[in-house]
Amino acid sequence: MAESMFGYFTMAWLDPSLLALTALGTLAGIYVGAIPGLSVTMAVSILISFTFSWDVNDALALMVGVYIGGVYGGSRSAILLNIPGAPSAIATSFDGFPLAKQGLAGQAIGITTVVSVIGGFVGIAVLAMAAPVVSDVALMFAPRDYLLLALLGLLLVSSLSGESLAKGIFCAALGACIGMVGMDPMTAEGRFTFDTVMLLGGIPYVVAMIGFFGVSEALYQLHHIGLKPIKQDVSKIIPSWDVVKKYIPLSIRTSAIGVFIGALPGTGGDIASLMAYDHAKRSVKNPSKPFGKGAYEGLVAPESANNAAVGGAYIPMLTLGMPGDAVTAVFIGALYIHGLNPGPMLMLETPHLFWFTVGNLVLANIFLLIFGLTGIKVFAKMVEMPKGLLLPLIIILSVVGAYAINNNIADIFWLLGFGVFGYFLKMAGFQVGPIILGVILGPLMDTSYRRAMISVGDSPMGLMGELVTNPVSIILSLCVILLIVSQTPLWKSIKARRAAGKSA
Amino acid sequence: MNRKSIFGLAAAALMATTGAFAEYPEKNIHGIIQWGAGGSTDTVTRTVSKLAEKHLGKEIVLVNRPGGTGVIATTYVNSRPADGYTLLFGAENPQLYGVMGLSDLSYSDFYPVNVLARNVPVILTHKDAPWDTMSELLEYVQANPNEVKMGSTGPGGLSFVVDNMIQGVTDFDVKSIPFDGTGPGVTALLGGHVDFMPVGLSAARENIRAGRAKALAVLSTEQIEGFENTQLITDVLPEFKQYLPWGPFYGVFVKKDAPDDVKQKLSEAFSKAVKEPEFQNFLSNFGAIEVNLSGEEATQWLNRWQSVTTWLLQDGGAAKVSPEELGIPRP
Repeated sequence: MAESMFGYFTMAWLDPSLLALTALGTLAGIYVGAIPGLSVTMAVSILISFTFSWDVNDALALMVGVYIGGVYGGSRSAILLNIPGAPSAIATSFDGFPLAKQGLAGQAIGITTVVSVIGGFVGIAVLAMAAPVVSDVALMFAPRDYLLLALLGLLLVSSLSGESLAKGIFCAALGACIGMVGMDPMTAEGRFTFDTVMLLGGIPYVVAMIGFFGVSEALYQLHHIGLKPIKQDVSKIIPSWDVVKKYIPLSIRTSAIGVFIGALPGTGGDIASLMAYDHAKRSVKNPSKPFGKGAYEGLVAPESANNAAVGGAYIPMLTLGMPGDAVTAVFIGALYIHGLNPGPMLMLETPHLFWFTVGNLVLANIFLLIFGLTGIKVFAKMVEMPKGLLLPLIIILSVVGAYAINNNIADIFWLLGFGVFGYFLKMAGFQVGPIILGVILGPLMDTSYRRAMISVGDSPMGLMGELVTNPVSIILSLCVILLIVSQTPLWKSIKARRAAGKSA
Repeated sequence: MNRKSIFGLAAAALMATTGAFAEYPEKNIHGIIQWGAGGSTDTVTRTVSKLAEKHLGKEIVLVNRPGGTGVIATTYVNSRPADGYTLLFGAENPQLYGVMGLSDLSYSDFYPVNVLARNVPVILTHKDAPWDTMSELLEYVQANPNEVKMGSTGPGGLSFVVDNMIQGVTDFDVKSIPFDGTGPGVTALLGGHVDFMPVGLSAARENIRAGRAKALAVLSTEQIEGFENTQLITDVLPEFKQYLPWGPFYGVFVKKDAPDDVKQKLSEAFSKAVKEPEFQNFLSNFGAIEVNLSGEEATQWLNRWQSVTTWLLQDGGAAKVSPEELGIPRP
C-alpha cells in the first residue's frame, strides 16, 4: 500500500509527458495570473474543454500547474504595476509596489517567489498529512463562525487605513455597499439595482479591484509623467540563504493561516492573504522598512498565505467533494467529466488520485521556483518603460481584464468609474485597500449574519448564547474581542507602562 | 494562364462552393452558460457540447455568464441575432422568472434544442440526525413547528420548491436557511448546522455512500437505482404524486426565430451527443436521468414543468406575479 502510494506520488515526476505538462501549466499559469482579470478559474475551466479527450492524469497535471502558477502570478502585476493580478494578491501590492518604486522590483519578486514556494509546501504538507482532520474542523464552522471570521477580517481596516482610521472605515463601508449590489442571495430581491438587468448580477469584485488599484494608479501617475522611471536594480535578485532564513518563521506562521482559511469552504486565498498581512503587521516588531513603504515582511506574509491556501482548498475537495474555492469547484467538474466520483469516497476508493495530486502539487511548486526566479530581469525592466507607454498599457490591460470576467460591457463602465473615483479618493488621502476589504467581506458578513439569525429563530439572545457555548465560536469571539481591546488607548497605555517598567 | 487568373479561378470556385452548399454551421458557435464554472450546469454543458461538436463539424466556444439566477445569460442570448450561432445552456430557472418577477423571458422565447437530463431530488439529512425516514421527520416537524432547520438554495431553487410542495399537501413548518448554492448548503448539512436539505441526487449520492448523510425520501413515484431502501415521497404523502415527475433539468436552447434547418441540425447533433456512451456514463456518474427531448415534445415537457411549479409557488404564496397573469394554465 505504502509502496503504491509512493508510486503515485512520484508518477508525475517520472513520466516525461506528465512532467512536461506540469511544467507547461505552471509557466502558463504565471502569465495568466499576472494579467489582471484573466483568472485561474477561467483558465482552468477552458482547459476542461481542451483536455476533454485526454487521459485524466494528463488533464490534471496541466490544470494543477496552471493553478499553482496562477496563484503566484498575481503577485507580479501587484508588485510591478500596483494592479493585483488576482484578488489573493491585493495585500502583496501594499509593500510590493513601494519596493518597485524604489528600484527593488527584482528583489521583491525574488523573495516573493521563494516564500510562495515555502507557503506552497506548507499547504501540501498539511494536505498530505492532516486532510481528514482539517476537513472535519472546517465542517464545524457554522454561519455564526463565518460571521465572526468576517468581523475579524474587517478589523484589518486599521492595518490598511494609513494615517486616518476614519477615512479607512469610510472606505470599508463604501466597499461593503459595492459588494451588496445585485440580487440578494437570500431573497432574490434586487438591491441597489434600480430595476436594471445589468446590475442584477452585481459588480464583480475583481472589477472594483482593478479599477481602484490599476486605473486609479495609472491616473495618479499622470502627475509624474515627466519624471524619469526609476532604474531597477536587478543585480541581486535571488535572495541569499541568510535573507530567506530570516523570513522563514513568518512565512510558516502565515502559511498556517493560509492553509486553514483556504480549507474553509466559505473563504479562500484573498481573505487568507489579507489576514496574513495583518498578522505580520501586528507581530513583526522591526520590519526591514515600515509597513506600506516597502517592508519585505509585507510581501512574505500574503504570498506565503495565498500559496498555502491552495493546499488548503484541496482539502475539502479531496476529502468531501466540496470545493474549497472557485478553482477547486472547476476541478470537481473535471473529475465528473473524466468519469470519477468526487465525494467523500474519492479518497477511499481512488487513493492513487489523492497521492498523484499531492505529488503533482509538489512538482508544480518546484517548477514555480525555477520559472519564478528566471526571467525576473525582463519583468522588472517593464517598470522602466517610459510612462507614456506604460500607463496606456495599464489601462488597456485593465479594460481587457474587466471585460473578460463576465464578458459584460457594463463592467468596463464600472471599471472606469471606479478608476476615476479612486483617483480622487487617493488625492484626498483615502486608501483603496479598505474598499476591497469591504467588497470581499461585506457580503460574507451580511449573509452569514442573516443565516446565523435565522438558525436561532431571529433571537439576538439566542445568537449570543451560541457564541459562548460552541468551542469554535468561543475561540473566534475571543480573537475578535482581543483585537478590539488591543487597539484601545487604555490597552496601549498599559502596554507602554509595562514596557517602561521593564526597561527601568 | 498567369498567376492572377489562377487565383481568380480558385476564388470563383470557392465562392461557388460556399454559395451552393452554404450549410450551417459555417463558423464556430458561441455557447453561453447560465451558471458559473464548476457548477452542475457548467459540467453538463462542457460534457455534452464536446460530443455535439463532432456532429456539427464546428467548435462550440463556451463562455460562463453567471448572475441573477441566469437572467443575465438568458437576456444576452435573447439579444443576439437568431442565426443559430449563439446557444443558451441553462437549467430550470428561466421557467420561474415570470412569477419571481425577475424577467419577462422564459424558455417559451427559445427553441428547445434538447432538454438533456434531469435530476431527482432527495431529502438529505446528516448522519447524526435522529430521523431515518421521511415519516419520522414529518412527525417530528409537525410536533415541533418552526424548530427544524432546512438548508435551502434560495427562492425559486430546488429546496425552496420542494419545501412548498410538501407544504402544499401537509403541515410543514421549518426554518429555511438559504445558502449560496447546493455545495455550501450540503457542507453546512454535513457539519450539522442545518438538519435536512432537499437536494438533487448528484449532490447527495456520494455523501450517502460514505455514510456522512442519509436519504430520508426520494421524490419520485418509482424506485431509483441504489436507493431501493429509501422511502418514496408518495409512500408517505400520496398526494405528492400530482407534482411528479419533477426536478431540476439542464438543456440547450436557441432563439425561437432561428431558421428551421439550423434547429434541425442542432437538435440532431445534440440528440446524438446524449446517446453517446461517454455522455451516458457521465449521467450515471453524475446521478442524473436522461430526458433527451427536443422541439415540440420538449416544449410540452417544459410547459408542464412550468405550470406545476409556478402554480405551486402561487398557491404557497411565494409567487410575486400570478401565473394567471402570465397566461400559464393551471396543471
